[in-house]
Amino acid sequence: MYSLHLSAEQIEFRDTVRSFVDDEIKPVVLNANRLDIGDRALPKDVLDKASQMGLRTLALAEELGGVGADALTCCIVTEELAAGDAGIATVLAETSALGLALFGAMTNAQRDAFLPAFLEDDRYHLAYASHEPDTDTALGIDYHRTTGTAHRVRTKAERNGDSFVVSGVKDAVVNAGVAKLFAVEVDTGKGIGVLLIPAGTRGLTVNENAEPRWYHGSCGEIILQNCTVPADSLLQGSANLRGEPGRGAPLAQAINLGIGRAAYEAALDYARLRVQGGRPIVEHQAIGGKLAEVAVRLEMSRNAVWQAAWASDHPAAQADRSLPNLPLTAMAQVFASEAIYRAVKDAAECFGAMGVMRDMPLQKYISDARICLYSGDGNSDLKLRIAEQLSGHRRAPLLAAE
Amino acid sequence: MDFSLSNEQRSWQMIARKFAEEEIKPITLKLDEAPDAHGTFDWGIVEKGSKLGFRTMAVAKEYGGEGTDYVTQALVMAELARGDSSISKTFSQNWKWSHLIQQACNEEQKERFLRPFVADHRFLLGKGITEPTAGSDNRLPPKDAPKAGLKLRAERKGDEWILNGEKCFIANAPVGKLFFIDARTDPNAPLRQGTTMFLVPSDTPGFRIGKVFNKSGWRFYRNGEMIFENARVPHANVVGNVNTSDMKTAQAGDRTGGDLFGDLELAANALGVCDDACEQAMKHAKTAKQGGQLLIEQQHIALKLNKMNMLTEALRSYVMRIAWEHDHKVHSANAGLAMNFSTDVIQEVTEINLDIHGGAGGSEAARHAEKLVRDSFIWSHLAGDSVQRLKVAQRLARMTAPGH
Repeated sequence: MYSLHLSAEQIEFRDTVRSFVDDEIKPVVLNANRLDIGDRALPKDVLDKASQMGLRTLALAEELGGVGADALTCCIVTEELAAGDAGIATVLAETSALGLALFGAMTNAQRDAFLPAFLEDDRYHLAYASHEPDTDTALGIDYHRTTGTAHRVRTKAERNGDSFVVSGVKDAVVNAGVAKLFAVEVDTGKGIGVLLIPAGTRGLTVNENAEPRWYHGSCGEIILQNCTVPADSLLQGSANLRGEPGRGAPLAQAINLGIGRAAYEAALDYARLRVQGGRPIVEHQAIGGKLAEVAVRLEMSRNAVWQAAWASDHPAAQADRSLPNLPLTAMAQVFASEAIYRAVKDAAECFGAMGVMRDMPLQKYISDARICLYSGDGNSDLKLRIAEQLSGHRRAPLLAAE
Repeated sequence: MDFSLSNEQRSWQMIARKFAEEEIKPITLKLDEAPDAHGTFDWGIVEKGSKLGFRTMAVAKEYGGEGTDYVTQALVMAELARGDSSISKTFSQNWKWSHLIQQACNEEQKERFLRPFVADHRFLLGKGITEPTAGSDNRLPPKDAPKAGLKLRAERKGDEWILNGEKCFIANAPVGKLFFIDARTDPNAPLRQGTTMFLVPSDTPGFRIGKVFNKSGWRFYRNGEMIFENARVPHANVVGNVNTSDMKTAQAGDRTGGDLFGDLELAANALGVCDDACEQAMKHAKTAKQGGQLLIEQQHIALKLNKMNMLTEALRSYVMRIAWEHDHKVHSANAGLAMNFSTDVIQEVTEINLDIHGGAGGSEAARHAEKLVRDSFIWSHLAGDSVQRLKVAQRLARMTAPGH
């Protein structure tokens, strides 16, 4: 049964993470330097503490040593983290989600090679390298057609005895600067596969500053030059690694919610304190009505995100038509990112000129919310992908090397 | 109805377009991306523009200015803003306050201040109203809180006034040479009856600039704190009569200064940004490819181009009509409405432009598109916040008979 009655455990998680954000994250990130959108430094010791609380291994199955949290719980935790800092939330959400996907897909031998270090090391983060520079990943002109321009992988992995020799460049790699293990999409000659390549492998270079500031957390490019890894580094069963398109755990959307909530809470606090027109500005209709709209946008977005999270935890609910058979995560992305961008701008307006000052939080929330409009190939492209699914157009899966 | 421009108006428009293209555009992105608030300004461009008359456009010819009409000012504003809306604003801020000098000051003051203003290419003007506890209260004084509003105190001592207090978020504060300052001269009277406007040169003893604000957009445009510690201002610098600050702008039409170019200025500035965004978006759509075809071939891109151009042309019609109305002394709420409208238009148009550029990316075009979006946020706080909209509604209500 679809229920948003959270378990006692989920509520405890939320409260614990909220306190952590108040006590450990906000004091570090809400200072003038960190608020400048040009500054992306990640507070490493805060990430360490979050790891010690289990937030790095949140989604990883319990039998593998993780917390085993479901998608809804992960979304609740991720929203809380992002209400403190979108960058910290992104690093942890990416590692947690990849922990579930990668260690779930590994052979026993691969797990033996990577899992102990992953569990033990608070700074062991994961990254997935798919996108390549100057490649056209948008659906665009291929909408409802297949013209052969779709996703191709130029990074080559050549088999050489017991090894693969990998050459190519990947960009827009989330967690590039903090990852100790990369899952890299390659063309093996027999198809597209995913290779596990530890950071520090000879021939692998990470260039953290290659990206413009259009990301949360850590992002960069990796350059592979005759990078040699054992042949058994190829991940099996990787075709569904990231879930069905538009239907995975809506973690990016939960980050978006956290950004929106931070802006909303700041505006509400300020509107109660700031006196103009002889009373706190929240008591003026113009501001009250605006804050109500912000709250409505935020709450409706949360409904969309939580429903998508619940659906990804309960695939049977779509199979038996309890929920519509739609890409609910993609739909939550479009709705929430547009609604929250607007909400954050309105929240900033309550601050007057302080809403545009670089040493104040609101301009950063706007910038953070704007990034969410363009995750992946952006909302315009995502709408085309949703439309294809509405009309029953099916695309072949991309990965099929094994 | 005749929409044609005179040769003189057309000539100003072309000079401004050339200046924006050749002088402003090459430097705008670099200044925008300077990390701190002090690296974003450039006196060189101010001097070059000043030599072409852009600083003194609104000063009458009898005082050595350009004496242009409002239509010309709107045209030049939009052209300069096509290059950078914070550089255009640095020029037009002087038009706004030279209008005020000519409207509100006596002959002795006009001679004393307009002559040196015209003569010095680095002479910029400003006006200090906002204070830490008085923003909206100055624009829309509450009836039920008579003491609300600015607190900066001015007390008469012989031939001088002694000013104490501070102003914040004041445009041109760190670079201006002369400021209009609103100060409370009767602390027991409501704002409108207890405030006097003073002319305060930057070298006034006891007056200094505090913090320089670091804004997310409009980064060229200087903004800072003003601190008055027993600042001594001669009585000869009082504008109009004591305790009548706002009546000087009221004489020009309304109480907001809207009829003195202020509202038209922001709408015309937004128009130039929209022109830039439309031009950039079309250029990108006609050169960038996706799936082997030009972006313009895609319906969802074409629909966006349609919308941004539709909004921009609607704004142009409104801006030019108001410029014409100002020149013909037609006083209405239209300038305020257009200023509010320009907020909605500039934000939507620049966001569409960023969208067409794919939102992300380190290319110069994408960074430029992102800059325009950041610049557009300023309108939320200057031109389209709820106070600015309520003010215009009040004016509309005043213009109609009771019960109508």
